[in-house]
Amino acid sequence: MELRIGWLYPTLMSTYGDRGNVICLQQRCQWRNIEIAIVRLDQNATPEQFDQVDVIVGGGAQDRQQEIVMRDLQGEKAAKLRSQLDNGIPGVFTCGSPQLLGKYYEPGIGQRIDGLGLLDLVTKHPGLNTPRCIGNVAFELVSPELVAALEPLWPEAPIVVGFENHGGRTYLGETQPLGKVMIGYGNNGEDGWEGALHRHAIATYSHGPLLPKNPFLADWLIQTALLQKYDRQVTLQKLDDSLAIQARAAMFKRLELSSLLKTA
Amino acid sequence: MNLLDRVRLGAAVATAKAITAIVKGLKLGAASVLPGSIARRLHPRLLPLLFEQVKSGVVLIVGTNGKTTTSLLLRTILEQQGKHVTHNATGANLINGLITALLADTDAFGTLDRDYAILEVDENILPLVLKDCRPRYILALNLFRDQLDRYGEVDTISRRWQSAIAPLPTDTTIILNADDPTLNFLGQNLTQTVRYFGLNEPDRYLSEIPHAVDSIYCPQCGASLDYQGVYLSHLGDYACPSCDFKKHPLAINSPEWGQILIGIYNKYNTLAAALLAQTMGIDRNAITQTIQTFKAAFGRAEELTYEGKHIRILLSKNPVGLNESIRAVNELKLAGKSSVTFLILNDRTPDGTDVSWIWDVDTEPLTTSGGTIIVSGDRTYDMALRIQYSQANPPSQANPCELIPDDNLQSALKTAIARTPADETLHIVPTYSAMLEVRKLLTGREIL
Repeated sequence: MELRIGWLYPTLMSTYGDRGNVICLQQRCQWRNIEIAIVRLDQNATPEQFDQVDVIVGGGAQDRQQEIVMRDLQGEKAAKLRSQLDNGIPGVFTCGSPQLLGKYYEPGIGQRIDGLGLLDLVTKHPGLNTPRCIGNVAFELVSPELVAALEPLWPEAPIVVGFENHGGRTYLGETQPLGKVMIGYGNNGEDGWEGALHRHAIATYSHGPLLPKNPFLADWLIQTALLQKYDRQVTLQKLDDSLAIQARAAMFKRLELSSLLKTA
Repeated sequence: MNLLDRVRLGAAVATAKAITAIVKGLKLGAASVLPGSIARRLHPRLLPLLFEQVKSGVVLIVGTNGKTTTSLLLRTILEQQGKHVTHNATGANLINGLITALLADTDAFGTLDRDYAILEVDENILPLVLKDCRPRYILALNLFRDQLDRYGEVDTISRRWQSAIAPLPTDTTIILNADDPTLNFLGQNLTQTVRYFGLNEPDRYLSEIPHAVDSIYCPQCGASLDYQGVYLSHLGDYACPSCDFKKHPLAINSPEWGQILIGIYNKYNTLAAALLAQTMGIDRNAITQTIQTFKAAFGRAEELTYEGKHIRILLSKNPVGLNESIRAVNELKLAGKSSVTFLILNDRTPDGTDVSWIWDVDTEPLTTSGGTIIVSGDRTYDMALRIQYSQANPPSQANPCELIPDDNLQSALKTAIARTPADETLHIVPTYSAMLEVRKLLTGREIL
């Protein structure tokens, strides 16, 4: 078996350790003897290459870099990315990239930037004098299908831990949220939702190294990618996740959430 | 200075000195910021008045990495020439820290009798300092991604530096790192005297550009820069393929100079201090002599002996810093001089509360070179995960790598020391607050 990871603009969109998600998917496949190829979906990539990947990873960009991405990710490339995700190809979009998938982003100063419109969400920056949303986050996944799919993969409650740092505030339309905030700001610090879920694409403000500390999400992405590609349910070999469990336990303890840790 | 200024300055200074005495007397702390904060309220023009009194002028040192080591080297060069130098050696590099450092050497009447003042300045407050202060020299070392949770972006910072430096008198001397495209570009648009340091040693190029790179686009036209080679992060020999932007000729020939401590980043620090000292008129032989006998600032490639074991502490605060520490450690590992590395990751305010940056670091070479990696700190298991995911597939039989996480700093340190053979060096690679902690355990003394 082989999976091809499509990495969106690796040099432009990689601000907060975002490559952690790529490394995590790559290693967890290799540890299970699933072959892995990494396809850099950047300015030099052809639209066809967007069609030839089995799972898509996107990270955050600084403003100037985000502009270059928005100029490049147009026309056929954008259409291919959209249809891939609509068809159920799994993806993980962290930090700034969910803004890219939404309808538009309204910066603190300057003009509204149109997104791909794949997700029914909008992002507005309340102005440079409004504090950014920065800190550790914990949120519980809310989609029943996702929660059910994760159950065989992880014994604990489906709680995601991470770190957020964003100025923009995101508001969901029809698109369903990814999680309910337990600690932190989430999409906008008001409505209690975090991220978005569209088919098998996860979007979240929790940045870069989301997957190493939430390995059940990594395994779900791998499993889903294999199902989409080979049309059969593959049971993934269990890995030694004791360091991830300890990293999670340390953060739960600090956030005073330890009581929520149940073991099946 | 007019009489009124003089009187008010005296009053502000006297108050600050009284506060310092109280804070220290009651053992409330090192008094490295508070006296400045209060004195400044008593006299808003305090900092410029202090600047004016420094006889041969104030040196401001900015940059993401290397400020402390470079300042200390420059200070040592000057002091060995018999100059009297003030320096914010505590690393307190915001406005109140600068004032406090200058006040410490001021007499009760507000007179500052010093030849030079060397001030490490936080990259974000340089514009604030330059608003009403007139340094004689500004040295800019580099601009890397560091604690974006505090500062935002490299581009923004360099633009703000540019507009803050532009109005300074034309006899101000600006020393810049030509190997950093952002700083090289900054120099092009200044009317002041600009001199460039950098490396011209292609045999020291990295084999590939590291992941944690910020500035690979031409600051003039936005095209991707062509690199003949990189020495460290995005520092290297480059030119723009689509406009006339390229690395400026250097005012110092790097192969002719030795360096302090270890690591290529310390070669940059050496060249920066040497060029500035030469600009000040210090004799080259005298500079070379200081370079040869230089002792590290605390935690910056500082060497210690503890229970008969040789230890080197390599403070690493950001992706570039950690990449370079790993590179220096690996050279020693490959030479058989080191096999135990002790990584300590904290996430307190001085470290940056977000530890995601460790995933921008190329930690892989540290595991593939084998040996023992011990991990501790507030974020022990985050770092342990990074190391776990860095291991080669399949793991090397020839160079096995053992990972030992232990969130108790004291017992982790004990293990690290016990595992280190007597003829090798233990390398401790901590973030800022972790460096202070581990150093306290090793020396039994608290610093600042």
